[in-house]
Amino acid sequence: MMKYTLFVGCNIPARIQQYELAARSVVDKLGIKLVENQEFKCCGYPMQTSDNKTFLLMAARNLALAEKEGLDMMVLCKCCFGSLKKAAHQIQQDPELQEEINRFLAEEGLKYSGATEIKHFLSILYHDVGISVIKEKISTPFTELNIATHYGCHALRPSDVTQFDDPVQPSIFDDLVKVTGAKSVDWALQLECCGAPLMGVNDTLSMDLAEKKLVDCSRAGADYVCVGCPYCQMQFDRVQNMMVSERELTDEIPSIVYPQLLGLAMGIPEQSLGLGMNMLDITTLESFIKMETEIDSE
Amino acid sequence: MYYKFMVYMALSVFAVGLIYTVFNWFRFSIGINVKDVSPWGRITAAVRGISSLFNKEKLSILGRVFVQDILLQKHIKKQDKLRWIMHMLIFSAFMFLLIFHALDKIIVTPLHDRFYLMMNPWLIIAGLIVLAGLSISLYRRYILKVPRLKTSGMDLYTIIILVIIILSGLFMEITKLSSYEYYQKIWWVHISVCLFGLAYLPFSKMFHMITTPLSLLCNAVMDENSDPANIATRQVMELDACTHCNTCNQHCSVAVAYDNLGNDNILPAERMSFLKEYVANKKISAKKLRSIQQGIYLCTNCDRCTVVCPAGINLRELWFSAREELIQRKQPVDLMMTPFSYFRGLNHQRIDKEKYDLPLENVLNVLTADCDLSAKTLDAPIVLNQEANEFRQAMGISERTDTFSYCFSCENCSTVCPVVINYADPQQSLDLLPHQIIRSVALGLKDLATGSKMLWNCLTCYQCQEHCPQGVKVTDIFNKLKTVSIEDHK
Ligand code: HEM
Ligand code: SF4
Ligand code: SF4
Ligand code: SF4
Ligand code: SF4
Repeated sequence: MMKYTLFVGCNIPARIQQYELAARSVVDKLGIKLVENQEFKCCGYPMQTSDNKTFLLMAARNLALAEKEGLDMMVLCKCCFGSLKKAAHQIQQDPELQEEINRFLAEEGLKYSGATEIKHFLSILYHDVGISVIKEKISTPFTELNIATHYGCHALRPSDVTQFDDPVQPSIFDDLVKVTGAKSVDWALQLECCGAPLMGVNDTLSMDLAEKKLVDCSRAGADYVCVGCPYCQMQFDRVQNMMVSERELTDEIPSIVYPQLLGLAMGIPEQSLGLGMNMLDITTLESFIKMETEIDSE
Repeated sequence: MYYKFMVYMALSVFAVGLIYTVFNWFRFSIGINVKDVSPWGRITAAVRGISSLFNKEKLSILGRVFVQDILLQKHIKKQDKLRWIMHMLIFSAFMFLLIFHALDKIIVTPLHDRFYLMMNPWLIIAGLIVLAGLSISLYRRYILKVPRLKTSGMDLYTIIILVIIILSGLFMEITKLSSYEYYQKIWWVHISVCLFGLAYLPFSKMFHMITTPLSLLCNAVMDENSDPANIATRQVMELDACTHCNTCNQHCSVAVAYDNLGNDNILPAERMSFLKEYVANKKISAKKLRSIQQGIYLCTNCDRCTVVCPAGINLRELWFSAREELIQRKQPVDLMMTPFSYFRGLNHQRIDKEKYDLPLENVLNVLTADCDLSAKTLDAPIVLNQEANEFRQAMGISERTDTFSYCFSCENCSTVCPVVINYADPQQSLDLLPHQIIRSVALGLKDLATGSKMLWNCLTCYQCQEHCPQGVKVTDIFNKLKTVSIEDHK
């Protein structure tokens, strides 16, 4: 049985509980066991551009905690994923730094050696579970549903560090969407930033970037954007909702976190996926589910 | 005679203190949205708020909170069994002593006139129970090595005053049966300490026996749509409801930043202590201001503190109010240029536009002040001095940032940058383009390299880095430049 320690970060429990809820429901159905660790704290992401040492310590403490449990990490947020990966990379390249960090961690009886693998939720589904196994669990596939997959910067790049997927022509997310019966549309701005890192610093710029992406995927014929990161989700859900009033955005296109999409196709009930917790209405998604008769006749 | 005088003195100090503290809840405020409501307006708002509670739905909520969170203190139990046992021992036995012993003449004797005769053994047992609870409290604070548990003078006072009250009371009950002379002496000690505790109660942490339940009740029936005047009042009251129990410190997501930086104000419970003083006196030194600004901005708004606080304090909203007020002060907050601003951005509709933009502009102006492009004309010589060399060396040390020297100015990075693409006149709006920043690093031009608007508007999306044919770690270099600049501006 596959077993991971779940790292949810700061955003999900405070603002996007539906992501964790849906991910847990899906993972449970796939027979994966998740271990809780109440001791995990901020991954260090917001600290990266002001104080590198503190950033590394914040990340390393989490990694050391996972190491103590002897488990690999399942990370839901792409920014958490990216910063944990970056910290691990930086520390492993520099033995002196590693020693310094370990001296700090020793105060809490912890040690970082790099034994734990940091994995994003989508990678686990794709590589560790596998498309074929997921396919077996799909009971109510979608039909005629067009999804725009948004990869998210901090998982994809810098690719030499994150090793998430091919940085120029990634495919794992599209394959994960296709297995639900939905179609993954091609769109020009797919790999661009959602704008979230500048929210609060330069809101106009942040919303410009989000708006461009939304317009682009809507023109490409997508019914929904699909994401695997709370920051991206916030940008396309709550911030889009703000843009509707602030910018008279017309091409509204709701966003969904991947486990909500997968969960519906696996026949998991709506409440266990938190569909009602999104800000923009996504309950219409269910109308894309193939009717029983259609499945039979296939 | 003397005794009566002391009692009345203590009672009057207590009453004045109580009125003073409660009035302060209506007088003080924290945050930028509530300044213009007078104390009187706040009092009437509170009366209106309270009178709206008399319906079945609200009363049943209040009733449930009273039983579960105030009498049974489930919040504490959820955190830690030992602490719950500690507090239940103190709380239940002390309440018993208060009703059946301290106030016996008022409450029980009228019901049963020879009551005090049969009370003696029970008082001793209750005293011992309180002592047991206090021992656990001391054990937790001084012997158990709980990380980030801070004990303030007030925490110690609270425990010690109770220890003295109980110990003197126990001796009194025991000597009562043997030596009248000793009994009289100890009686005076006991009475003096009790009266002192009573007089000082409104100013001490012991006041939490009133405010903590009040906070739990208020937060059960209030939300973000409640009258802003009432929210303002509640937020000041919440500062008195904090028991400095340190639950929030233990769960705080950025506690590791505290471990490394050593700024107490990063820890939420310490911030509460700071704010409590701050609401009453907003004149603080520049140094203190810097420390609290860092502390309050270094918060991921993860809500964990709010979820765990056994006093039911809505810390999320309290941080929001306090943060807004503290960043409006002149001193710029460099952390505003980092993702710690995220939550504030999400809530920009709640803040007046001008006030929202001002602190951001302030800090950007400071960070970009040195980037003077007009002085860098084509024929102005570039000075390669010691400082330039030091800067280049500092950039070259680690974190893959030494790759700047591989750059051959192909401009790929600037071509793929979504920020550059977003502006019709990028050079004007952003001062420098990404490849020019890299060039500035290579030339040792620290003022340009760390001061362009481009740098501070970089998303960290890594497109540039991924597309650089020379393997220049453009984004890593930018991140390093930001940390260098923030360090310089401390
Ligand atoms: C009426 C409702 C009350 C509530 C809801 C309440 C709540 C709390 C809470 C949440 C703490 C922090 C617990 C901890 O540190 O683990 C605390 C601490 C404390 N409480 Fe209460 N309290 C109440 C009444 C009382 C009473 C009547 C007393 C009696 C004197 C009392 C004495 C103390 C003491 C001494 C501490 C300090 C423990 C320490 O910090 O180590 N409390 N209270
Ligand atoms: S804010 Fe709440 S959790 Fe934190 S010390 Fe005060 S009472 Fe305890
Ligand atoms: S919201 Fe802020 S203060 Fe509270 S636990 Fe999270 S990081 Fe700490
Ligand atoms: S892409 Fe690389 S080589 Fe080209 S200008 Fe940018 S940093 Fe220099
Ligand atoms: S990381 Fe910064 S400079 Fe590089 S492409 Fe993204 S926004 Fe532009």
